[in-house]
Amino acid sequence: MTTSSGIAIDGVGMQFGGRQGVTALEGIDLNISAGEFVALVGPSGCGKSTLLRIVSGLLEPTSGCVDVGGKTPDEARRDIDFGFVFQQPALFPWLRVLGNVLLPDRVLGRRSPNRGPGSEHVARELLRDVGLEGFEDHYPGQVSGGMRQRVALARALSYDPKILLMDEPFGALDEFTRDRLNLQLLDVCKKAGSTVLFVTHSIQEAIFLADRVVMLSPRPGHVTRIAEVPFPRPRNLEVRYEPEFAALAGELRGLLVVEDEVELARKQL
Amino acid sequence: MSIIRERSRMVDVALRFLPSLAVFVVGLVAWEVWVNVRDVPAYLYPSASEVGSELLDEGPSLAADDLRWTMIEAILGFLLGSFAAVLAAIVFVHAKFIERVLFPWAIVLQTVPIVAVAPLLTIWFGFTLRPKVIIAALICFFPVLVNTTKGFRSISSQAIELMRILSATKWSIFWRLRVPSSLPYVFAGLKVASTLSVIGAIVAEFTGADRGIGFVIIQASYRLDTRLMFAGIALSSAAGVVFFNIIGALERLALRWPDARLEQ
Repeated sequence: MTTSSGIAIDGVGMQFGGRQGVTALEGIDLNISAGEFVALVGPSGCGKSTLLRIVSGLLEPTSGCVDVGGKTPDEARRDIDFGFVFQQPALFPWLRVLGNVLLPDRVLGRRSPNRGPGSEHVARELLRDVGLEGFEDHYPGQVSGGMRQRVALARALSYDPKILLMDEPFGALDEFTRDRLNLQLLDVCKKAGSTVLFVTHSIQEAIFLADRVVMLSPRPGHVTRIAEVPFPRPRNLEVRYEPEFAALAGELRGLLVVEDEVELARKQL
Repeated sequence: MSIIRERSRMVDVALRFLPSLAVFVVGLVAWEVWVNVRDVPAYLYPSASEVGSELLDEGPSLAADDLRWTMIEAILGFLLGSFAAVLAAIVFVHAKFIERVLFPWAIVLQTVPIVAVAPLLTIWFGFTLRPKVIIAALICFFPVLVNTTKGFRSISSQAIELMRILSATKWSIFWRLRVPSSLPYVFAGLKVASTLSVIGAIVAEFTGADRGIGFVIIQASYRLDTRLMFAGIALSSAAGVVFFNIIGALERLALRWPDARLEQ
């Protein structure tokens, strides 16, 4: 197990398309400690995916800065500190399931943490952890959408990243598959011990998974509320039916509604 | 068990090709009837059976000598043109500027009538192999270039982001991502090029050659030997079909993952 890193986001802003362009994010401050699971929630267009890409060094913010365990995002990216699970599984269709999980190892070569035959062992174990034992030799085109996203998760964890970034990974799945994957995710993350930054537009999913839920609002994307989730771990699905869960979910949803009303009023002026 | 499965596979294949074969036979019969009923002069329009007997008489020697020669030209041109096209696509994908400068000229090259260029090349290079290979290569270049470039670009932004998260080199992105994802497009281009290459070689032979199926056809036309012309046309088109199917077989070998092959 690699030690995880914390993330310090300090006054980050992002503007697309020059001076007259769109402001995607404005004045984002957020501290995430090592090993913490933080969920970013907000309606579409609030810049949550953009924030993930800034943290991982895929995008350079136009203002503010990010510190990832003492490194810049770009340095951390070069040190392969990040695992990224995208909205789409983004598997390589010409590689079998096992080949896809082994892809990072092949790309990293000598920089891979588990060298040689050990990497295949790790990959098989991860596939077992996400419930895909027996599907190693299938092509991505031969398994379901939920299975593909689990392959993507195993792939992201295969090289023990310090930080796991997830961009609405289960957004396209049905509720039952989503529930099962949420449980598996908690399980696998506990085992890996990495810091997780999880983007979703489902408040329920965020509260169920995270230690803290960060609410974002659009135009421009900004933080409206950071809520601690009071439930102990390990959690099971029943936790969602507790009154405290419903109360927190209702409170957070209320934030979005208020924002909408403000927006509406602004338009009518 | 395996014998039964093997046989049912053969039946499947036969059933798949039966309709096209039936169309072919109906066409032949209609041709035969039409020529006989309308009493068309044989030197203008030979009947199917006359062409058939010509093929039986002349076919083997034509295939062994002239058709073989034409196919050598076509295949060499196909290899040269496709190779150049793939190289150009690699350059285009990595240097947008070069693509902006050169791609319009690739289109110009494509719109130049190949029939008009062929005599020029024959003037320059004589009755040799070279002008035929060049014409075949020119005609193959464009479809392979367009398809391969499209293939190299057919990558999701998330796949690229994944490779960047893994801090992959350009080389690694090229071999592990761009090449495999372009292969279906490359093969689609190669299949088009395979049939075009035969046409290119024959057109080049029209303008100056001492052997080859194009040479045979043009010589036969001077003598109003329409039977030999038809036989030549049938042979060259059959060779094109075989070439196309060889590329198709290679495609099936190379693209084994589900839904890899693009529909033609």
